[in-house]
Amino acid sequence: MNSVQRTAAAVAFQETDRVPVIAQVFGHAATLAGVALDDYVRHGETLAACQVAAWRRYGYDAVFAVMDASVETEAMGSLLRYRPNQYPVVERYALADGRDCRELGLPDPQQAGRMPEMLKTLGILRRELGDEALVVGCVLGPFTLAAQLLGLETTLYLAIDDPPRLEQLMDFAAQVVISFGRAQLQAGAHLPVVFDPAASPAVVPASFFREFELPRLAQVFRALTAEGAAANWLHIAGPVAAILPYYAKAGVQIANVDYCVNVAEAAKLLPTTCLDGNIKSLTFVEGNPAGIESEAQSLLRMLRQRGGFVLSSGCEIPPESRPENIAAMVDAVRASG
Amino acid sequence: MNDSRMSSLIAAILDGDCAEAVSQAEHLVRGGARPQHIVIQGVEAAMTALDAKCTVQHFNLLEIMLAGRAVMEVMKFLYPTGMVTAESKATVLVASLEGDVHDLGKNILKIVLIGGGYHVVDCGKDCPLPKLVEAAETSRPLAVGISGLITSIIPSVRQVKDALLLRKLERVKVIAGGAALKQASPGELNVDFVAESAFDGLHYLDRIAGGTHE
Repeated sequence: MNSVQRTAAAVAFQETDRVPVIAQVFGHAATLAGVALDDYVRHGETLAACQVAAWRRYGYDAVFAVMDASVETEAMGSLLRYRPNQYPVVERYALADGRDCRELGLPDPQQAGRMPEMLKTLGILRRELGDEALVVGCVLGPFTLAAQLLGLETTLYLAIDDPPRLEQLMDFAAQVVISFGRAQLQAGAHLPVVFDPAASPAVVPASFFREFELPRLAQVFRALTAEGAAANWLHIAGPVAAILPYYAKAGVQIANVDYCVNVAEAAKLLPTTCLDGNIKSLTFVEGNPAGIESEAQSLLRMLRQRGGFVLSSGCEIPPESRPENIAAMVDAVRASG
Repeated sequence: MNDSRMSSLIAAILDGDCAEAVSQAEHLVRGGARPQHIVIQGVEAAMTALDAKCTVQHFNLLEIMLAGRAVMEVMKFLYPTGMVTAESKATVLVASLEGDVHDLGKNILKIVLIGGGYHVVDCGKDCPLPKLVEAAETSRPLAVGISGLITSIIPSVRQVKDALLLRKLERVKVIAGGAALKQASPGELNVDFVAESAFDGLHYLDRIAGGTHE
């Protein structure tokens, strides 16, 4: 089985030759190659080269054309600050001056900001790796994109002070997400992961997720499926148990579970959805291979009968992680078969 | 002792109704209540009720921010030139360290601590360690609260305690929290306490401050 077949089988709860293992290696690929993070996130060819090199070194099942959480907002007019060897941050939000989101217009993924660089990365990765590795793009969830256009605090207050304006902004954000997601699939991605940290129950109540985000996520996933996405992967960090029951309705087929989520409980709440997770991210920095191996084996044992599982970290593997810890996670699936 | 006159203020804060909370505070002041009494019996009581709702599984920023916004407006009304240090439980420094430009977690901690009766000195985000230590020398806080969203600042967090020690500020406790830092243990971070949430940090401070106002 190649990685695409293996992952597809896990998503369908079918038999696999081994459990897929996907290390959420984004900026770590730059660290590994000795490339500054601020260069990595701006140059598609560099990003692709680092991802391929990391994939060859570790042998996991997916590569990521993930830059950072500011690609869309920068393409729509937000001003970023690039700092040496760090991910960029938003210095001035596109809608900070009270502008209406309709004034921004949909960004053209072929031209706006770093979007074309990300598309370039996806094209290179797919040409070089074919189906040997799952080629994963990245879009933000509608609420997270809204927060990246307006600032999280302002966006949260908007939910209470002016819900119709927030809904309008989120509808607009959903259109941006769909347009960028389609472009990523056309450029070569097997799927874009939908990264939606602001929709975590650590930030908003589950009722907010249900009323505001769920319908728009469903719209996004329907569009991605129609465009040929291999699967619908939703990545929300933090204590997500309260919103997991809504995932099936959103069309989620791979649900990321962070370290703080009880995996057995998640498996019960999502009986037909593939889970990915959930080794603590910091363990890849502070821990050791024996600890990773033990945690990985424990997860593999717990979910062996169930299937529908991708061994992974709970969130991004930090750039400064120890390579031997990532290798230990990959080795764990090979050892257990 | 509970003060029944405070119930409307508490309800308004918990509802996140800013205007109503300030209006209730005005009403209490007109009725002769002292600001410190309103803080202890009204604002702190509201934060305690919010705390009880916010367990690890049911904690969300939106609810805290809405109540926090109301708290900040009430405090601004009660203390237009800032809270009188002598009326607080203690002083706490809060910061996000150099390299970390995310300050939402720090701001939430600040709101919770102010609502909990502490005088807070905000050293801002991306704060260099020398600036933090200098502020500690000036304000002699009970504790320093560090919020961190990214793991790469952990080496800097580890230095805080020793930097304070060098300036003979060994009595100042260091607490850490935020998405990245709460994954680690106090030993790993060389701090006195790792808070699971802003309220967890407040509980710790209340324990070491003795829970009483200065």
